[in-house]
Amino acid sequence: MLDKTNCEEKSDEELVALALKDQDFFACLMERYEPKLTRYIRRISAATQEDAEDLLQEIFVKVYRNLNDFDQSLKFSSWIYRIAHNQVVSQWRKTKTRPQVLKFEADDDFLKYISTDEDLAADTERRFTGEEVRETINNLDEKYKEVLILKYLEGKDYREISDILRRPLGTVATLINRAKKQFAKIAKEGDIKF
Amino acid sequence: MQKLCDKVLCKIKGEKIEPRPRWQFLLKDYFIWLAFAISVLVGGLAFCVALSITVDNDWDIYKYLNVNPTQHILLSIPYLWIILLLLFLGLAFYNYKHTKGGYRHGTFVILGFSVVGSVIVGSIFHSMEMGREIDRIFVKNVPLYQKIHCCCHRKDIWSQPEKGLLGGRILSVRMEDGFDLEDFQGLVWQVEKDSQAFVGSPVLVQEGREVKLIGEKRAEKLFWAWEIRPWMGWEDEDD
Repeated sequence: MLDKTNCEEKSDEELVALALKDQDFFACLMERYEPKLTRYIRRISAATQEDAEDLLQEIFVKVYRNLNDFDQSLKFSSWIYRIAHNQVVSQWRKTKTRPQVLKFEADDDFLKYISTDEDLAADTERRFTGEEVRETINNLDEKYKEVLILKYLEGKDYREISDILRRPLGTVATLINRAKKQFAKIAKEGDIKF
Repeated sequence: MQKLCDKVLCKIKGEKIEPRPRWQFLLKDYFIWLAFAISVLVGGLAFCVALSITVDNDWDIYKYLNVNPTQHILLSIPYLWIILLLLFLGLAFYNYKHTKGGYRHGTFVILGFSVVGSVIVGSIFHSMEMGREIDRIFVKNVPLYQKIHCCCHRKDIWSQPEKGLLGGRILSVRMEDGFDLEDFQGLVWQVEKDSQAFVGSPVLVQEGREVKLIGEKRAEKLFWAWEIRPWMGWEDEDD
């Protein structure tokens, strides 16, 4: 049986190399990413905890099957998030139902980030409460929600978001910028009843 | 309750799931890059044929055809090759976008690279006279090609001696200032030229050559040539 303490000191990339030789090391990668990816799936798909876990199982099996395709020029986290993103999109296509409203359950990190964002504060001339942010986010266009989630909730930088969504860096920057502007516009116009 | 990672590991072990071998991914990558390279190459060929047709086109004959310069330009554009060039630029773009790092570059950057690639490759082919060769192959083997082709090589354009345009094959060089020519309907013309006539190439007036003549019909089957041009821009075609 694998001693899990061995895993903690190893990088993702080292674990990928080890998992290709010994399946048990793949468990270390799964344990490392299970909570992050469950949250991410729920944030972008509004899935229940149970559905998110089912989806995550499929994602991990897919990751394992494609381990040899891991591009060393990327961070492993970007690669696994990309697979998760694609799997969620594929699930939408299968069921033909895209989530209408994102649920932000106890996303305190997100609320903290966005409510203290200097650009937004400058654009709207005030800061936001958590409830206001939740309401405003739910009124954003779908294409803007995921970039905001990746940036503020998952803490990804522009390069990582570009690698996850397979979009050029400039497009990611534009999307985030527009998302912030739309956020400010919605808040300013008072469409949201705070 | 079983942990998720244990469930997945059980599934992997139970169903004997293995990582797909690396060569399969590499093969897919190489195939996409090959498809990209072929698209740029074929785009380059289309560009070089379009370039050859444009360079060889008789832009000045509109006055003999009773059309204005704009109409003549519109009739002379090699649409078929331009459409093929655009099609393969599109394919190059699609293939590049599907390479591993293709998403990192924006649409205009990739299209720019594809255009520059096709223009460079096409210019190299053009310098090797490949455009004319491809055009000639199409003219000889694809009957419909001449109908949709630009006007410079269309036989019907050069079968209008009343308008001063005559094309065909030189049958025999009778003397220094004349030769016999068989037009595209099989009629034999006596062609005369004076010493002032412009001749496209010193080796042009030889038996077996296909030529285009600009001049004047002076009598039945007698044509006075002011200018003699090669049929397809060639200098030393043998047949």
